[in-house]
Amino acid sequence: MILLKLDELIQGIIKGDRRSVSRAISIVENEQVSINAKKIIKEIFTHTGRAHIVGITGPPGIGKSTMIGNLAAMLSGSGRKVSVVAIDASSPFSGGSLLGNRIRMQESLTRHGVFMRSLANRGMKGGLSRSIWDTVKILDASGSDIIIVETVGAGQADLDVVNLAETIVMVLGPGLGDEIQAIKAGIMEIGSLFVINKMDLPGAFIAQKDIEETLAMSPKGEWKPPVVGVNSLTKEGYDDLIMEIDRHGKFVKKSSDIAFRKFRTELEITIDEELRNRFYKEIRAFLSDNEKIRILMEKRTDPYSAAENLINSIA
Amino acid sequence: MEKKDSYWSLKYRQLREQNHSPNSEYGEWADNTLTPWNRQTGFQEKEFTNSSNIPIKEVYNSKDIPENTEKHLLGLPGRYPFTRGIYPNMYRGRLWTMRMFSGFGTPEDTNKRLKYLIKHGESGLSIAFDMPTLYAYDCDNPRADGEIGKCGVNVSSLKDMEVIFKGIDLSKVSTSMTINAPAAILTAMYIAIGKKQGVPLDQLAGTVQADILKEYIAQKEWIYPPEAHLRLIRDMMVYCTENTPKWNYISISGYHIREAGSSAAQELAFTIADGFYYVEMGMKAGLDVDDFAPRLSFFFNSSINFFEEIAKLRAARRIWARVLKEKYGAKKDRTLLLRFHTQTSGYTLTWQQPLNNVIRTTIEALAAVLGGTQSLHTNSYDEAWALPSEEAVKIALRTQQIIAEETGVIDTADPLGGSYYVEWLTNKMEEEAFRYFDQIDRMGGILEAVKAGYLQKEIAATSYRRQMRLEEGKEIMVGVNKHKEEGEQPINILKISKKAQKNQLDRLNEVRGSRDEEQVRKALEELETAMRKEDVNTMPFILRAVEEYATLEEISNVGRKVFGSWKEPVIV
Amino acid sequence: MEAGKNQSLFKGKPIKILLAKPGIDGHDRGILVLAKAFRDAGMEVIYVGLLPTPEEVVDTAVNEDVDVIALSLLNGAHMTVFKKVADLMKGRNINDIAVVGGGTIPEGDKPKLEKMGISGNYGPGTPISKIVEHITERAAEMRKLKSMEE
Ligand SMILES: Nc1nc2c(ncn2[C@@H]2O[C@H](COP(=O)(O)OP(=O)(O)O)[C@@H](O)[C@H]2O)c(=O)[nH]1
Ligand SMILES: [Mg+2]
Repeated sequence: MILLKLDELIQGIIKGDRRSVSRAISIVENEQVSINAKKIIKEIFTHTGRAHIVGITGPPGIGKSTMIGNLAAMLSGSGRKVSVVAIDASSPFSGGSLLGNRIRMQESLTRHGVFMRSLANRGMKGGLSRSIWDTVKILDASGSDIIIVETVGAGQADLDVVNLAETIVMVLGPGLGDEIQAIKAGIMEIGSLFVINKMDLPGAFIAQKDIEETLAMSPKGEWKPPVVGVNSLTKEGYDDLIMEIDRHGKFVKKSSDIAFRKFRTELEITIDEELRNRFYKEIRAFLSDNEKIRILMEKRTDPYSAAENLINSIA
Repeated sequence: MEKKDSYWSLKYRQLREQNHSPNSEYGEWADNTLTPWNRQTGFQEKEFTNSSNIPIKEVYNSKDIPENTEKHLLGLPGRYPFTRGIYPNMYRGRLWTMRMFSGFGTPEDTNKRLKYLIKHGESGLSIAFDMPTLYAYDCDNPRADGEIGKCGVNVSSLKDMEVIFKGIDLSKVSTSMTINAPAAILTAMYIAIGKKQGVPLDQLAGTVQADILKEYIAQKEWIYPPEAHLRLIRDMMVYCTENTPKWNYISISGYHIREAGSSAAQELAFTIADGFYYVEMGMKAGLDVDDFAPRLSFFFNSSINFFEEIAKLRAARRIWARVLKEKYGAKKDRTLLLRFHTQTSGYTLTWQQPLNNVIRTTIEALAAVLGGTQSLHTNSYDEAWALPSEEAVKIALRTQQIIAEETGVIDTADPLGGSYYVEWLTNKMEEEAFRYFDQIDRMGGILEAVKAGYLQKEIAATSYRRQMRLEEGKEIMVGVNKHKEEGEQPINILKISKKAQKNQLDRLNEVRGSRDEEQVRKALEELETAMRKEDVNTMPFILRAVEEYATLEEISNVGRKVFGSWKEPVIV
Repeated sequence: MEAGKNQSLFKGKPIKILLAKPGIDGHDRGILVLAKAFRDAGMEVIYVGLLPTPEEVVDTAVNEDVDVIALSLLNGAHMTVFKKVADLMKGRNINDIAVVGGGTIPEGDKPKLEKMGISGNYGPGTPISKIVEHITERAAEMRKLKSMEE
């Protein structure tokens, strides 16, 4: 019975059925590495690899969601099937979250029937990693031409997006102040292309110059990251932006090197997680056994030895 | 980039210093009299704060207010800085206007209600519109389904306004219309009716709310991006300054900011900051501040924390007078007067034990009067639940009449002036307001601050805090979280007949069938051309379209095409 | 705030809830307070902003695969607008997403709404803890339905 339903779900994904896609994402989100979650991914895997995965990152308030709304509208307008995933932070206190990225895109999403899913990072502890990879796979298998992933420019979720996306769009803009220095120092190398948003505001040209100069000084690879200025309120500059995204998409798909790196990274993450998961039940049981832990503490056992003993006893 | 201190930050710093006077008498008293008493009586210390989160002391004395208070901060009524009132004899010379909001269901119903109120001695008309009208959707738009006549009267075209004012001589009444995003269109309709009745334009009296900034801040009823609405309001300001001298074109409204959950201090600060923006806008449009600023009026909320409300209203007058004189160079006294309408709080009303609302409204109305209001709307006790019944409206009106005619509070101006507590609190509210003015200025002005969602976030934080305090029982609402009664009966409510929707649809169809389509098309085209040119005044074009019976939505759609739409920033 | 006895069911799988005012009604004080309160109760809250259409609400609920849709209206149009949402859900055979309502809803309308499958229907002044409790219950029902299907 259960298996039959899961098969239907998998068929649904491949046919691009909304509710199947949506439910499958819940399963990979809520029941990570459960049998069901794994079965879904295993079964759809041959249907993946076609979509162009684009990560959009940058500081809060810079206009990422607005931009995705515009991109979604323009790309679907030209006949492509777009899917969107947006990641928000969970509250460290309650574990809950407010997923507000939709507000700015809602209009275009509705008008063009674009599938969009909000994900909470669920406090990092490996929470998102697996599910964001799997979510993108499901969307890929469902026939998306392009999958756009929004993430704030910090934290684990961001790293995951950097790893899984083929094209990273770094969004910057005027008025970032010191932040831009930090960005320049830290993560310039991850951008496949740089967008200066809010070109209608003062300071935008200076920001653009600044980024261009920094890029000119950075070591040059095969791909030279372009800098595109846009105004998301009027969609000025969007034709260039889409052209550059596509150009980079073609570049990546040609490079077997990049594909290999991505595959390897995912493999690594998956092995790590499988490993952790294999022992998860026993570790949890051990950690909730206060009696045992107290004894270890009273015996002044060092944490390394305690951990080694535990693992050895399970494995 | 080191910036010179702005007017706002200098003022804020001054006020902070002024209000931070050490009070050794209080300290000595607290040590030697209060503390022993508290200990002896086993009094549990707890925090007393008002809605603005200002901590309140056990007592205030002369040391809590600056020495020169009377001379510099108060003056006498009718004198700068008008803290004690804008007229020398205040209510002796002229009572406040008792203005009751009406408008529900069909234009026919509203027409009947207006006539009823005129008969019962109401001295000014006030009209509320339903949601489709406020968003400029015609009654046949699918989004309007089920909303026709629900929260006010529905207007889809000039025909509806003709019915509302049938048999009411516009030269004899003053009308206040609570409408914002489509304010220019409704004003044009009012003018059109005046013209049909043969009333000279310079005799049309009343107010249109047209305060679009507070829509983005609080009430969230907009059509276009802020800049577009502001431009249309500027056009209306210029047109009305020239043509309809008794038409007050912006009623700068704190009411909705408060209802959206703000504190009294936030209401004060955000409303007056909006006012400053409109002043700057008028000056930029080439108007003389002494010509147009007197036409700006204010609209405040009177809520349940009695002294806080009074202090807020007194502070508002002083801030407005000061800033208009010091910063905007107003020369005439008239320009410095902050005139305002007040409405009692809807937020404080409860559906539980509804008659308690009569008491709440009475206290709030009294605060408005002691705060020196020029006109007043008292809520009906059933308003927490539905549009008010006739009976409830009458009690609300009687509440005002009792305050005015029985209590003696009108005998002297500003009876609370000089109270240590009230003066201290007035100063404190003023300081809070300047803290916000400074902050808003640092964010690049109110428009930027609103677009970034700053004011909205401040309000949301306050309203969340209040809700949590209610849940924890730190704040009380009688009948809701204390002194509850089991098995309460829901009160009788006014039912809007389903006929309203049909009635409106029929009339709209009739309008569509009988107008000259060619003229409508031409009028709308010309309006579009006007809208596309920033320096053309759109008002005559709107008037023309209205007179050709173009519908509300058709006219506003021209703007939707030219200016686009707007989605709010993320607030939570 | 405690989400009550069903807490463990949602451990690591927070309740996902869509908050919406599917009418032309800009009074968002209540819904913004609820959004924060639900987050603080450990839920994942989707808010789509003002003025979504009933179609948008249902579409979003499906895309996001929420457990609960919470509708709020203060303008008196609930009998029309809530019903549209309920009809759309029925039309699409969606039975594993709960719909709860709130706002100024007269006593007399509540049974009618219940019949459409819209529960709760709390008025202003209802303690948030009570609303959270109700949502948690409904979400638990939905989770059971979902897990049986799979
Ligand atoms: N002036 C201007 N504002 C923009 C532009 N793009 C986005 N915004 C505004 O920036 C704010 C934040 O946008 P949002 O898309 O939510 O940013 P995110 O946090 O990066 O997703 C919103 O108020 C947008 O209207 C632009 O090109 N120019
Ligand atoms: Mg965003």
